Amino acid sequence: MEVEREMVVPETPDEVWEALTEPERLEEWFASEAELDARPGGEGVFRWGDGDERRAVVREVEEAERLVLDWDDGGSVAIELEPVVEGTRVHVVESSPEFAPALELRALSLEAAAPAWTAAAA
Amino acid sequence: MDGRGSVDRVFAALGDAGRRSLIETVATRGSATATELAAELPVTRQAVAKQLCSLADAGLLQATRAGRETRYEVTPAPLEEAVEWMVSVGSAWDERLTALRRSLSGYGKSRSSSQPPPGSRS
Repeated sequence: MEVEREMVVPETPDEVWEALTEPERLEEWFASEAELDARPGGEGVFRWGDGDERRAVVREVEEAERLVLDWDDGGSVAIELEPVVEGTRVHVVESSPEFAPALELRALSLEAAAPAWTAAAA
Repeated sequence: MDGRGSVDRVFAALGDAGRRSLIETVATRGSATATELAAELPVTRQAVAKQLCSLADAGLLQATRAGRETRYEVTPAPLEEAVEWMVSVGSAWDERLTALRRSLSGYGKSRSSSQPPPGSRS
């Protein structure tokens, strides 16, 4: 399962990158409190006003181009920046891999239970 | 959100050919009681009732009391969970991207008005 969003901002990719990777900038838009070590393998901790906390590990970093975080609940988020005439296109994909098997099982439970199902479950 | 746990329960509940065929039968009929299913399937009412119970525990069937019998129907719970995730994550990103846009434009303005060009970080 994926949620995908895109927007174009007038700033340069470098300017957007700072807002994506510097904790004090992340606190302006992403979370109430942010810690992030924006290097591969680096850790991120984000807290929100409602007491919610999420932890992540940086999977990929390409400066001013691409940042991928793996959430500790199994999901991930990829943010890509692309220079365009108007400024920068910000492309976000958040994935939730743990729902994929549930949906497959759901579909399969409604169709005939095929031997492939057993193989996939093993 | 307890995505992993519910998937495990779904796996366990469907890891049996008898239970899978029960779900299919309930799905085909729309709803069914243990008595109705036992009449159709080569198993006792008791065995059917037990299996229906475990499928309901796994969230795959929804039980409603109908007189002396319990009537079961297939619940779209795993699907709903996934849809809920999409809606909540999607709206979270809508808000974040709006905040990011605001943060970027505010930051750019304050920086250009205080005049040092990009490269000199505050």
